[in-house]
Amino acid sequence: MKRLRRGWKRLLGSLSPEESELSHELQSHIEMQIEDNLRAGMPPEEARRQAKLKFGGFESTKESYRDQRGLPWIETTLADLRYAARGLRHSPAFTVVAVLTLALGIGANTAIFSLVNQLLLHPPGIDHPERVVGLRTEYQKLNLAFNGSSAANLPDLRASANVFEHAAIAQRGDLNYTDGPNPERLRGSAVSAEWFDVFGAKPLLGRVFTSQEDQPNLNRVAVLSYGAWTKVFGRDPKVIGRMVQLNQTPHQIIGVMRADFEQPRNTDIWTPIGLDPKLYQPSNRFNESFFLAARLKPGISFELGQAWMRVLTDRVYDSGTTGAYIAKSSNWSISLVHFTDDSAGDNKAAVLLLLAAVGFVLLIACSNIAGLMMARTSARGRELAVRAALGAGRLRLLRQMLSESLLLGVAGGVAGLLLAAGAVRLLLLLAPEGVVAGVNASLDIYVMIFCAAATFAASLLFGVTPAWQVSRVDLQGSLKTEGRSNTLDSARQRFRSLLVVGETALALTLLVAAGLFVRSFVRLQTINPGFNPKGVMTAMYRLPSAQYAGGRDQANFNRALLANLRSAPGVVSAGLGYPMPFSGDPEAGSFDIEDHPAGPNDPGPHGDRRFISPGYMETLSIPLKAGRYFTDQDRVDSKLVAIIDDALARQYWPHEDPVGKRVRLGEGAPWMTIVGIVGHVMHSSLASDSGKGVMYLSLFQRSKPGASIAVKTYGDPNLMAAVIRDAVRAADPHQAVHTFGTMDYWVSRSLDTRRFGVRLLGFFGVTALFLAALGLYGVISYAVTQRTREIGIRMALGAERRSVISLVVGQGLRLSIIGVAIGIGFAALLGQYLQSLLFQVQSFDPWTIVGTAAAPIIAGLLASYLPARRAVRVDPAITLRSD
Amino acid sequence: MEQKSDVWQGTLTLMVLKTLNALGPLHGYGIARRIEQTSENLLSINHGTLYPVLLKLEQEGSIASEWGVSDNNRKAKFYRITKSGKKELTAAEREWQRANDIMARFSALQGESS
Repeated sequence: MKRLRRGWKRLLGSLSPEESELSHELQSHIEMQIEDNLRAGMPPEEARRQAKLKFGGFESTKESYRDQRGLPWIETTLADLRYAARGLRHSPAFTVVAVLTLALGIGANTAIFSLVNQLLLHPPGIDHPERVVGLRTEYQKLNLAFNGSSAANLPDLRASANVFEHAAIAQRGDLNYTDGPNPERLRGSAVSAEWFDVFGAKPLLGRVFTSQEDQPNLNRVAVLSYGAWTKVFGRDPKVIGRMVQLNQTPHQIIGVMRADFEQPRNTDIWTPIGLDPKLYQPSNRFNESFFLAARLKPGISFELGQAWMRVLTDRVYDSGTTGAYIAKSSNWSISLVHFTDDSAGDNKAAVLLLLAAVGFVLLIACSNIAGLMMARTSARGRELAVRAALGAGRLRLLRQMLSESLLLGVAGGVAGLLLAAGAVRLLLLLAPEGVVAGVNASLDIYVMIFCAAATFAASLLFGVTPAWQVSRVDLQGSLKTEGRSNTLDSARQRFRSLLVVGETALALTLLVAAGLFVRSFVRLQTINPGFNPKGVMTAMYRLPSAQYAGGRDQANFNRALLANLRSAPGVVSAGLGYPMPFSGDPEAGSFDIEDHPAGPNDPGPHGDRRFISPGYMETLSIPLKAGRYFTDQDRVDSKLVAIIDDALARQYWPHEDPVGKRVRLGEGAPWMTIVGIVGHVMHSSLASDSGKGVMYLSLFQRSKPGASIAVKTYGDPNLMAAVIRDAVRAADPHQAVHTFGTMDYWVSRSLDTRRFGVRLLGFFGVTALFLAALGLYGVISYAVTQRTREIGIRMALGAERRSVISLVVGQGLRLSIIGVAIGIGFAALLGQYLQSLLFQVQSFDPWTIVGTAAAPIIAGLLASYLPARRAVRVDPAITLRSD
Repeated sequence: MEQKSDVWQGTLTLMVLKTLNALGPLHGYGIARRIEQTSENLLSINHGTLYPVLLKLEQEGSIASEWGVSDNNRKAKFYRITKSGKKELTAAEREWQRANDIMARFSALQGESS
């Protein structure tokens, strides 16, 4: 307590240097003594002398008082920092270059980390995201996996109260909002009552659902996202309690969520799912149409939760029901995934790769600054030697140099943070929506901590070696040679060369990685997706079940819509289909083949499914391999037909002609005849097509409540948007149509993440190259300055300019080539980690390496040619006289 | 000149507290004089060494100070002991007493053996 109090007082004392009081006090002490001495009869001179003797050293008293008063180490540090600041002010060019380089490095790292943080570590709007998990279902024998679950798993999770705090399911389903001036589509999510508790999300206005509202027919309430509240309702606070028409059913709005909560991603509006209790029964176990999320109890680790999933899986195996048979024969299992990993999806690897790349850039920036500091300390050699000679200890010099780098680091860090704030905004503008949905531009506390840590690490990185070299300063040598080059100086120059070699190696590694991704990207663009997207416009619609309850109503709408589209001007062909390629919607299932009974423990044939209208194949130019396309004559009352693609044909009819064979969608379903074989179409992305066989069913024989519209034209496909809108309105004036986009756009969008990654990686590669070249330029410039005399003598003795230039350039080129050689080694070592992200390119791709290796060598030539040219321009007479 | 003992660290603190406790508020010069008088001039201190000790005691909260006017109309800083300083003093005195007792026993021992 006493010591604490004293420490605090001393800290205060350090920060407010005030000494006049003490001088006063001591002065009056001495004068009182003098008066006493006079009274004792001493002569005035003697009285004064005795008083001073009695008091002791006046200045030394003051000094020990000062040491007591404050904390000397704080004062020394402040003095060091003041000294460092003065030093930096005296060389503004160095300071500006170093701070800018550092700001670039730290800013870029902070910006990319802020993506990593929000996508993988701390997504906004989720309380303790590490405790939120999703459920994954796998059928190992069927080679099937879903990031989803059946509703039957929810009661099991909710019953596991010692593992999970909350559990809930969600299902996406868009809603038509028809109270506004135009029918509008809202991206909806139907969720069970505890959904918001799973994420620890609280509403901004109103409330969220109760369990009473989560029941069939009682679920006529809705919660708005902040985005929808803003966009559709103009942030009207009185929206709570308002009745609105959603899918032409009245719903009451009861709440608005905060801006940072939109889970599942990009939700505009939540409604209670209100599932039929039947769906929660174990008999519905194998129907993965929901996303299930749960919140682990505090203190329960992810691993423990995972182990509990194993227990739940085993319970199903041991239940002795038909479910147990299905589970065993397909090797069914449920497991947990981190919600953050799950929602980041494919972006995880890409974002981490970018973080590594930007880390390289910071390393190169640090080497550059270390090089600059070395050059600076050589120039200040004499000053430092004088300081050492005056008694500055080695540790003291070391501290002083480190203060300088810390000061530079902090300046760079602050500038970097400002830069990052802008860079994040820029990233969000440039990044495809799929990568950064839900990411906001604000820099949170984790990002601040990262930035501070990066700053500190960088300061140490570029500060330690130069400082250490300074503390070894050769006193006598430096003083004697008056700061001219000496052995220590050449050691410094060697170290700087080493730095440049390292920088070149890092830059090349980054360039090779960027090159590999560029090549992958080029390869991807030459991939034939199996259809021709040119001139095709698409849009989506979903018929509300209240008005279109039966298949007949749905089919009538679809027929009317298709007829309207076909007769519209400019339309070459039109078709409907669900799901459309590159729409992201999956649809798959098992089927039976006539006369091919599945063996015991064989789960049977399985394939992707598409529901299409006549005209769909023609519109997308999907090639016919055998048989025929669907026609208007394929109706509910005619023979049931199916078309398969060549992948499915190869898989299940390897030695026969499938046309004319019959299939059905499971036990008891009617048989359908295969009438045609078409080419395989890539469904979700050019890079990772599953290659799975596809079965096409007629939308007019088996209707769906929603589908995509595809219209082909020879002109500008964008003009078809209005045609589609008119055709839908003519079929039903209340029906919303949404998500317009050309097929070219959807295909290109599937490459957005890659395109974004390639661009950023390329940008970092070029930045790295530039910084490395800058480093080389610095080293060669310095070497040329040191050798001015030598060059002067050579030229005076008749050396040609060309030979002098090639001498200097050769020195730079040697460093570049060594750097490139090491870089190729790095690239070969690190390449293996990239392989899974590449597309049809080997991680050690000789062409990429040769192509990118040229860049640092050319940059190196340029960086050493400039100082060389300067050297030979100087008149030898002047150089020789200069010393 | 007669031999005077140096004041070793720590005892000066005790002397300052004791003096202030016995005589009430005093300025630095007064404290120095009193300590010399009390030790009957056996003790010689450089008056300057007193000030860092006063500062330390003040930082610890054992004494407090304020500016005032001395008997001969000179501006001076007056120190007084605080409540916690009194507690501190009692504890320190007890400590010293014990140390003295122990040393006394050893001195007695020495007497017998010689």
